[in-house]
Amino acid sequence: MELPPSRRLRFGLAAAAMLASVAAGCDGPSAAPADSLKIGGYSVVREVLHEGIIPAFARKWKEKTGREPEFAESYSASGAQARSIASGFDADVAALSHSGDMEILVKAGKVAKDWREGPYKGIMTNSLVVIGHREGNPKGIHDWADLGKPGVGVLYPDPKTSGGARWNVNAIFGSGYLEAAAKDAGKPDLSAVKDLMAKIQANVVNMDPSGRQSMANFAKFRTGDAVVTYENELLLRAKEGDAIPYIIPPATLLIESPVALVGPSVKKHGNAEIAQAFLEFLTSAEGQRIFAEYGFRPVNPEAKDAVPGRLEPAKVFTTADLGGWKKLSDELYSTNGLWTTIAAEVVQNRRN
Amino acid sequence: MAAAATVAAATTTKTPHHAHPRRERAPLVLRGASLLYLGVMVVLPMLAMTVQAFQPGPRAFWSAVTEPYAWHALKLTFATAFIMVIVGAITGTATAWVIVRYEFPGRGLVNALIDLPFAVPTVVTGVMLVALYGPDSVVGAIMAKGGWRVVYNQPGIILALLFVTYPFVIRSVQPVLLALDRTEEEAAATLGAGPMTTFLRITLPTLWPSILTGSALSFSRALGEYGSVVMIAGNQPMLTKTAPIYVFGEIESGNRHGALAVSAVLLATSLLILVVLNALQRGREIHDAA
Repeated sequence: MELPPSRRLRFGLAAAAMLASVAAGCDGPSAAPADSLKIGGYSVVREVLHEGIIPAFARKWKEKTGREPEFAESYSASGAQARSIASGFDADVAALSHSGDMEILVKAGKVAKDWREGPYKGIMTNSLVVIGHREGNPKGIHDWADLGKPGVGVLYPDPKTSGGARWNVNAIFGSGYLEAAAKDAGKPDLSAVKDLMAKIQANVVNMDPSGRQSMANFAKFRTGDAVVTYENELLLRAKEGDAIPYIIPPATLLIESPVALVGPSVKKHGNAEIAQAFLEFLTSAEGQRIFAEYGFRPVNPEAKDAVPGRLEPAKVFTTADLGGWKKLSDELYSTNGLWTTIAAEVVQNRRN
Repeated sequence: MAAAATVAAATTTKTPHHAHPRRERAPLVLRGASLLYLGVMVVLPMLAMTVQAFQPGPRAFWSAVTEPYAWHALKLTFATAFIMVIVGAITGTATAWVIVRYEFPGRGLVNALIDLPFAVPTVVTGVMLVALYGPDSVVGAIMAKGGWRVVYNQPGIILALLFVTYPFVIRSVQPVLLALDRTEEEAAATLGAGPMTTFLRITLPTLWPSILTGSALSFSRALGEYGSVVMIAGNQPMLTKTAPIYVFGEIESGNRHGALAVSAVLLATSLLILVVLNALQRGREIHDAA
């Protein structure tokens, strides 16, 4: 493209102006830095934070201080978000899928070691691992074992590419593991749970890269008969007018997603006041009611009234009951991990 | 659109050498600037990765690459890319042939559509293919009746690779076909050769370097394909998990070295292909000039 000199100059100026504005844009043009907050969240909380929490908090902040707060939001997969904050993305608040990802930030010196020391142990939201099924439940799915029955097509995301997807596999593993541990706490016999995991894995039609993708495949492309996912994801869909019926297995895993302040970022931006206020708002009764509206289960007992009529499973266990994220990660998903081995064996068996 | 630019660059080098204007030495400043740019943009990131991949020593590197899941992912990636290249070379050459040699309604549109796969985000490619061949689609249902599993299985990978590399062979064969002197073909025909013999003995020998170029670029491109494959393959380890998906999974699982080692293998292969290609072309240029 040959431009006349005058146009070339104008083009150059425009490009330079664009670059300059991009560079300047990073710091937010209007509000003072002390009143602005950068959120680094995992994908699942995008809707509730953007449409629910942030507007409500902004109103409160305005009432209290008379100043307009400004928010910058970034959402991506939990592991990716954690890695980007660890390597320099200056979010003030980190909201991640699970505490294993938060530990990445602790290790990188971005989050204080004592981040669990709040009234709710650093947890922002609770949810449950549930099973979505087709209208009328034609395959009769009521418990994990039903996912292993012949002819049931199961969807869950790949726990390798989606850290959050591990909640699903952990739930299946945990229900069987705790049963075995109840019989013999010292040396639980894992053969039954291995068998269950293998049967379910053999029924897995497709492992999508993320939970959202799994939902899309289940709902839009009508792949599979059952989708293992979070209760809040299904309730969010229902809120948006696109409900998928689901069951809560009798024993299932409590999803606990943490939040913490990113110390170095807050220090750099000098916005400790708003950051602290925001963090407190998240777990306040008011904040938790908003989370409940978007399908989460409140961590704050004062907001229990926000979830009337929601079924309670017979038994809820936590990752701590299973030994914590680190242990699960090593025992299930490392190269020689239980799930990794089973997923490969299933394929071998299918071939023979 | 960087990929399209590569095709153009690769094909232009094949115009007969003696037609080139005399090459001048680039001024030092220009040469330095472009080399610096290349270094910062391309060479440095590659070096950084390679160094980290080899940091724990060659033995650790080797065991990371030959670890069963990694090894299978690499084998799968190379095998599917290879099958794709065979299919792509044949169909690409045929397509280029048709649009260069025949006049038909909509030819301009076809010519414009060919580049579209480069413009489509690869994730969208995956979504489109699932929409067409997925279990709930008409095509998918028919194929399922015949026992053909495409989506969430290995053929799906090849399909995705064919889509994302579609323009390479066509765009590299097309200009050569256009520039082809047809008198030789006509002479062959008057001497009684059938169309097949003419094609095999006269046309193909001229075309094959460009087919090779297009195929090599397709292959290289296919090794790194992530977006469409992750949507359509099913991502089952030891079955449909390709190397790029393996790399991403290991990064997510905290096995950084495993991911880097496999990445290094992909990178080295692509580099090797391009270097060999370049050498072959240079060989031809010298041969032509002589």
